[in-house]
Amino acid sequence: METLDIPLVNLAVAFLLLLIPVGISIKYGLKLIKPLFVSIVRMTIQLALIGVFLKYLFQWNNAFVNIGWLLVMIVVAVFSSVKSSSIKVSSIFLPAFISFSVATLTVVFFLNVFVVPVNSVFDARYLIVLGGMLLGNSLRGNIVGISTFYKRLKMDSNHYLYVLSLGATETEALMPYLRESVQLALKPTLASMATMGIVTLPGMMTGVILGGASPEVAIKYQIIIMIGIVTSTIASVVLTIVLTKRVCIDRYGVLRSDVFRKETPSRRKKL
Amino acid sequence: MSGTSAVIEFAGVNLSFSGKKVIDDLSLVINSGDKVVISGKSGCGKSSLLSLVLGFVKPDSGKVVFGGVAVDGKTAWNVRREIALIDQDVSLGSGSVESFLEFVSDLKVNAHLDFSPHKLMKFFHLQGILHKNLKDLSGGERQRLAIVVSVLLNRKVFFLDEVTSSLDANLKKKVADYFLKRDDWTCVIVSHDPVWLESPSVRVFDFEEKVWKH
Repeated sequence: METLDIPLVNLAVAFLLLLIPVGISIKYGLKLIKPLFVSIVRMTIQLALIGVFLKYLFQWNNAFVNIGWLLVMIVVAVFSSVKSSSIKVSSIFLPAFISFSVATLTVVFFLNVFVVPVNSVFDARYLIVLGGMLLGNSLRGNIVGISTFYKRLKMDSNHYLYVLSLGATETEALMPYLRESVQLALKPTLASMATMGIVTLPGMMTGVILGGASPEVAIKYQIIIMIGIVTSTIASVVLTIVLTKRVCIDRYGVLRSDVFRKETPSRRKKL
Repeated sequence: MSGTSAVIEFAGVNLSFSGKKVIDDLSLVINSGDKVVISGKSGCGKSSLLSLVLGFVKPDSGKVVFGGVAVDGKTAWNVRREIALIDQDVSLGSGSVESFLEFVSDLKVNAHLDFSPHKLMKFFHLQGILHKNLKDLSGGERQRLAIVVSVLLNRKVFFLDEVTSSLDANLKKKVADYFLKRDDWTCVIVSHDPVWLESPSVRVFDFEEKVWKH
């Protein structure tokens, strides 16, 4: 079964569908045309570039280049996760990068070595595609997890200090916040796993089926990728929090105010 | 610690929050068994005295000493285990009263304690709140619950920050008597309340003038 290629003219026709949201936006004054246009253009250009790029990457298929590209994807994922928290990127970039790399690479290599019978664990098709899939899908979880942890800790600083005054160790005092953050981070993934196949027919599966594989194969890939996503999300959220707290919390166990971004001025609350 | 040994000592302490001077060259000694009331306008930074001892804020300069040991990032953890704090906002968190009490007694540091709150809860008129949510308690109930917990911690130094503000006259007196009659307890009390200020057993430190009033 060969995948049907889409001629460029037909691709252009697909854009005609956008007349519907544009029409709706005009009729109801949703002011969506500009953001829609910007996003569509960005998506198209980025995918066109990456299409060309991946084509050569797959042709070349050099282990170092593949690893390098995976690391670039990790850097971008770290930036987007950290940027949406209230912490300065510069303060926690390195620990977050280490956590994301450990979480992603462990899962990808595990899958490539023990699960998918690939010839080379560094094969671009599997390394980059699986890695990207993991990063993309754990991104939202990471964003929620990391920003929740520091947001709650800061909002709750009086209670947190009270718990320290009770004689709690740092671990004891931070545990409730860690637990809450990881649970929140995982909620969407767990929910979508629980309805998978019935409510959601995930992108990965659609891609594999359209790519010419049988649904049985698609399902197997979907199963391993979901296991991978849950694993790498938990691992990267917990690792990121564990590693960044050494930077963001001082020796007294108090949240440092200088690691937060200026927009949300954090004056350490008085007792 | 003997009867008159210094428990808490501030030596030339300066502190400011975002450029605003809160404590200017303060030197102060609080001895074992002292009952000290810190008085002064609200918002003038009285509570920061307590925060300094607990290591929640660090002085810009000067030294804070507890039990003969300078408070720093290493010692603060032990200092906190010697002090029972009730903070101004009574930040007990959320969840049921029962789960809160469990959380406190489950902390490693409290493992050796006999943590049975019932008698004290009865004494402070807190029967029947065990299954209530902390958020549903009245301000006065939360204050008394925090008082019960502070006593159960079995510590000798108490930091009481506005702990009687939401109590009625009878309960105010009951709480004040409870703490003031214990000779072996050192209490640092931040309050405007006459129930503390006018008690003969306390020394009053004027935080703004930096002098002992009596």
